[in-house]
Amino acid sequence: MSITRTLVFFVLCVAASELATNIAALSEVPLHGHSTIQYVDNPVGSSPGVVTLPSAVHHAEDRSGLADAVSSPSVSTGDHPVDGGVHPPVDPGTAGGHGGGHGEGIHVFTAEFARVEIPFIISLWIFCASLAKIGFHMAPKLSSIFPESCLLIVVGIVIGLLLFHTNSAGVSPLTPTTFFFYMLPPIILDAGYFMPNRLFFDHLGTILLFAVLGTIWNTVSIGLALWGCGLTGLYGFELPLLDTFLFSALISAVDPVAVLAVFEEIHVNEILYIVVFGESLLNDAVTVVLYNMFDAYVGMGQENIKYTDILSGFASFIVVAIGGTLIGIIWGFLTGFVTRFTNHVRVIEPIFIFVMSYLAYLNAEIFHMSGILAITFCGITMKNYVEGNISPKSHTTIKYAMKMLSSSSETIIFMFLGVNTVNDQHDWNTAFILLTILFCSVFRAIGCIVLTEVANRFRLHKLNHVEKFVMSYGGLRGAVAFALVLLVDPNKVKKQPLFVTATISVVYFTVFFQGITIKPLVKYLKVKRANKFEKTMNERLHEKLVDYTMAGMEDILGHTGNLKIRDKFKQIDNKYIRPCLIREHAAHEPKILETYSKLTMRDAMDFMRRNATSSNLTGGNSESMAVLFRNYTANNLNGSASMAQMDNGWNLDIGELAYSPSARDLSDAKVHHMLSEELWKPYRRSSRRLSYSRHAVNDHDLSSSHHVNHNMHMHIRRMVSETVRKQHSKQGGSRNSTKSVSFKPLKENGLEKKLHDDYLHAVIKEVSEAEERNTSLDNVGAQAAGSSEDLDGDGAGITFIARKASTKLKREEEDKKRLITDQVEEDDGEAHPSTPTAAEMQLPWKRDDADDMSTFAIKQSEFPLWVDNKEYNNYYSPTNTFLGELDKKKSQHPSVIDIFTREHRTADLSERGENTLSPPTSFDVTVTIPEEISKEDEEAEANQKTFTK
Amino acid sequence: MGNHSSLLLREEEIETIQQETGFTPNQIERLYSRFTSLDKGDNGFLCREDFHRIPELAINPLGDRIVNAFFCESGSEDQLNFRQFMKVLAHFRPVKKDKENKLNSREGKLRFAFQMYDTDNDEQISKEELLGVLQMMVGDNISEEQLVSIAERTIVEADKDGDQMISFQEFCTALERTDVEQKMSIRFLN
Repeated sequence: MSITRTLVFFVLCVAASELATNIAALSEVPLHGHSTIQYVDNPVGSSPGVVTLPSAVHHAEDRSGLADAVSSPSVSTGDHPVDGGVHPPVDPGTAGGHGGGHGEGIHVFTAEFARVEIPFIISLWIFCASLAKIGFHMAPKLSSIFPESCLLIVVGIVIGLLLFHTNSAGVSPLTPTTFFFYMLPPIILDAGYFMPNRLFFDHLGTILLFAVLGTIWNTVSIGLALWGCGLTGLYGFELPLLDTFLFSALISAVDPVAVLAVFEEIHVNEILYIVVFGESLLNDAVTVVLYNMFDAYVGMGQENIKYTDILSGFASFIVVAIGGTLIGIIWGFLTGFVTRFTNHVRVIEPIFIFVMSYLAYLNAEIFHMSGILAITFCGITMKNYVEGNISPKSHTTIKYAMKMLSSSSETIIFMFLGVNTVNDQHDWNTAFILLTILFCSVFRAIGCIVLTEVANRFRLHKLNHVEKFVMSYGGLRGAVAFALVLLVDPNKVKKQPLFVTATISVVYFTVFFQGITIKPLVKYLKVKRANKFEKTMNERLHEKLVDYTMAGMEDILGHTGNLKIRDKFKQIDNKYIRPCLIREHAAHEPKILETYSKLTMRDAMDFMRRNATSSNLTGGNSESMAVLFRNYTANNLNGSASMAQMDNGWNLDIGELAYSPSARDLSDAKVHHMLSEELWKPYRRSSRRLSYSRHAVNDHDLSSSHHVNHNMHMHIRRMVSETVRKQHSKQGGSRNSTKSVSFKPLKENGLEKKLHDDYLHAVIKEVSEAEERNTSLDNVGAQAAGSSEDLDGDGAGITFIARKASTKLKREEEDKKRLITDQVEEDDGEAHPSTPTAAEMQLPWKRDDADDMSTFAIKQSEFPLWVDNKEYNNYYSPTNTFLGELDKKKSQHPSVIDIFTREHRTADLSERGENTLSPPTSFDVTVTIPEEISKEDEEAEANQKTFTK
Repeated sequence: MGNHSSLLLREEEIETIQQETGFTPNQIERLYSRFTSLDKGDNGFLCREDFHRIPELAINPLGDRIVNAFFCESGSEDQLNFRQFMKVLAHFRPVKKDKENKLNSREGKLRFAFQMYDTDNDEQISKEELLGVLQMMVGDNISEEQLVSIAERTIVEADKDGDQMISFQEFCTALERTDVEQKMSIRFLN
């Protein structure tokens, strides 16, 4: 089933790419490439391109400016990513037909593919490759046996075959320029940026040993062996020594792209991974040097080489390696420095990371240094500083963008490898190719065994035989070798086509044979697998302690180890580098804090997930997240049995720890808190941006308050209308009271009713403006007012104003504020009880009814959850004045927790009162719940369900 | 100096140390020369000042704790002889499968780390002790409040029996996934 689906995808991809080809053919402007892509005598040379270009010019007669535009891309083709993605031959028939087609005058409909051809084909390639990737993952069986790289190559071959048979031309989308300038950097940057620094530097010695000595050993041994076999006349032709060395230099390097592709799937333990992968990254410098060296030697000719040339070769190795690394590190520091100042323009943060690392790569290439080393070290260096500066959102962006870029270019590379295989320039020589594969495997194994012996002398963790085997088996060759062999000038090296074929064979052998078998082998040999996990706080903390301890021990022992060097670097880093590069240079151990905040975040998320209903309502809101988390930790730390409650659903109120409320009360509370958080806060009229700014990604903007608010609004509208409907159907009906706590129903006071109605009219007025539903709302009664009071912040803003507020509510913020002030003054005139009861804390709006009790008028002493958000209070909260009043009495800012814990005991009391069903006098307060409210509770519950949907 | 030191070290002393700690005689001699070079007063024992004289250790945020651990382990207040010195160092020998030794076993290593926290030797890490170490490591730039919450979080995470303390058992459980054998080993030169 799934395999058929995959097949469908393949067919789709192929069809799409064929379409592109056909369009390209129709458009009669073949892409003509830069000389670099014509590693073979391309029949579709530059001449057709030149010939056909005028036709495009002709096509756009009166747009001479455009003619330049048309011609310029094809001139710069050589540097273009998928340059010459497809090289269709000029089909005379089509060309003629098309040529005759365009006449003079204005075209109503014209197809001018030539103009968009290059970007179009690039996009199409990416599209196809990505489609293919989706296809694999639809067939889990397929992808569990074959690594993705194999499947991509197969798709590439299929496409290549199609292209080959339809056009019978040498198709070469993968040019060295494209590969090195556009496809490789994203992959390497991704590798460098997400490199586990600690691990990498811990094993740097081993990695360097393998990267430098291992690669040199491979080059020399493979070169000599191949040359030696050539002397016996096995190949049937003569192979010059230098040519052989050139070939062995490019074939001996382990390829980072292939290694990443395979090793990410087999999940071997981290040490093994970092050693093989690190080697593949760092051997680039060696490969580049050896390649250039032998390339130069081939150019000079064997007899002209002096020993100084060999010496200068080694000197250039040092320059290339150290230079590339230094350039990378410098750019890395620069990136850190630049991001220090981006806090006002968050939106461009990611671009610095990408552009500056790319610049590092290109900068190294200017001086013919190792670009791979440069970009790797740029990533490694910048990471720590950049992460301290950028916002979490930029961090996510960078992470995903980087992964996306690298995985798509990896996909394309493998696909192009497949496509490039299909051409008629192959020069197959069985002996040479088989020997190459044999030598590559054998010398790699020998090199691994010898070098691990050397490395083990200096290593704490000795590499065992299984690991040695995996290391040698994981030495995959890939696209880097292929791109390099394409760069070889066939005029200088006669056997270049053979080298190309041999390289492809080796790549196929390693990617297919080794790539497929390594997974079962790793399983069979029981190689220690990587166990990926996030560090717990304990692990992080204790490991840091151990690090310091070990550094101290090394000091005492007086010998310089890894830890001591790290310690030294850390000191310098903390003292000089970090203050320069990081905006808020806070602590010496950022990792501890990082782990802490990460775990905290995760806890909060867990909490939200477990309490899915409430997370729906408050999600995406940082302030309420904070509240949630605080409640969560507070509960945890108290070690009370409140966990059960929390699992139960949605009790977010810390004051209820000892108060076991009924389900309905809880849902009430939830609605209330949801409303108070979501609806009051977002109505910061004054803060709303008046000028539209497209690029602002303030956290404020992203908090989606307006958006959520709107949704909430719609919910409330629905809720109100539902209330109406239910009200109609339920009128006079008895209610199921089993769920409710034994609140005594009280008769509604006339005054109260009137007040509600007063307010309701105001609300209705507001609602009707928007929805014209005022008639039905009239019937809703006080209970609807109860909710819409809270909900319809637009009209009322704040619940407790609305209660007594003037009938005319003004929208202006200033007016509201004035109202509140009035309100507060009024309230102050009343007598206040010291604490509200549990039910009040739970269901704060019930306090409204306390007004009925002349003896127990209650001051509004419970605040919405955002109350302790100082920023909000100071700048936005209309209740600022109210809080100001409170501050006079109690100089400290009241936090919700404070209020709750202080009033904990009262809650206990009242609860007990309820349970015994013998209410003490003070219990009166809790009892004052009008019938309608509890009815409303039910409504709220019902609505809750709609919400959660 | 080296000559001098090997003269002072008698054969049977080497043997006892070797049996006790598992160091090879070669390593013992090497470490003895380090010991004597640290021992500025040529007293045959190290005192705290000798340790504090090591420049790198002086700036190590946990330097004091490390020195304390040496003295704590040996039980003496301000004198540390070579045998005690070696016993502490033996914790950091790499674990070898064939040669079992109590000092450098996983538990031995963990025990040492645990004692770095446990200043009052009650076999429990309290919040205060954790906070003390945190303050040393993280520094002053961070608010006390934040450190307290980190410490609380750490304890809650590891605390299985709910006594707000981390016992040694809980400590070991918390570090179950960590490669302590690897992390707490030093490659002693031969």
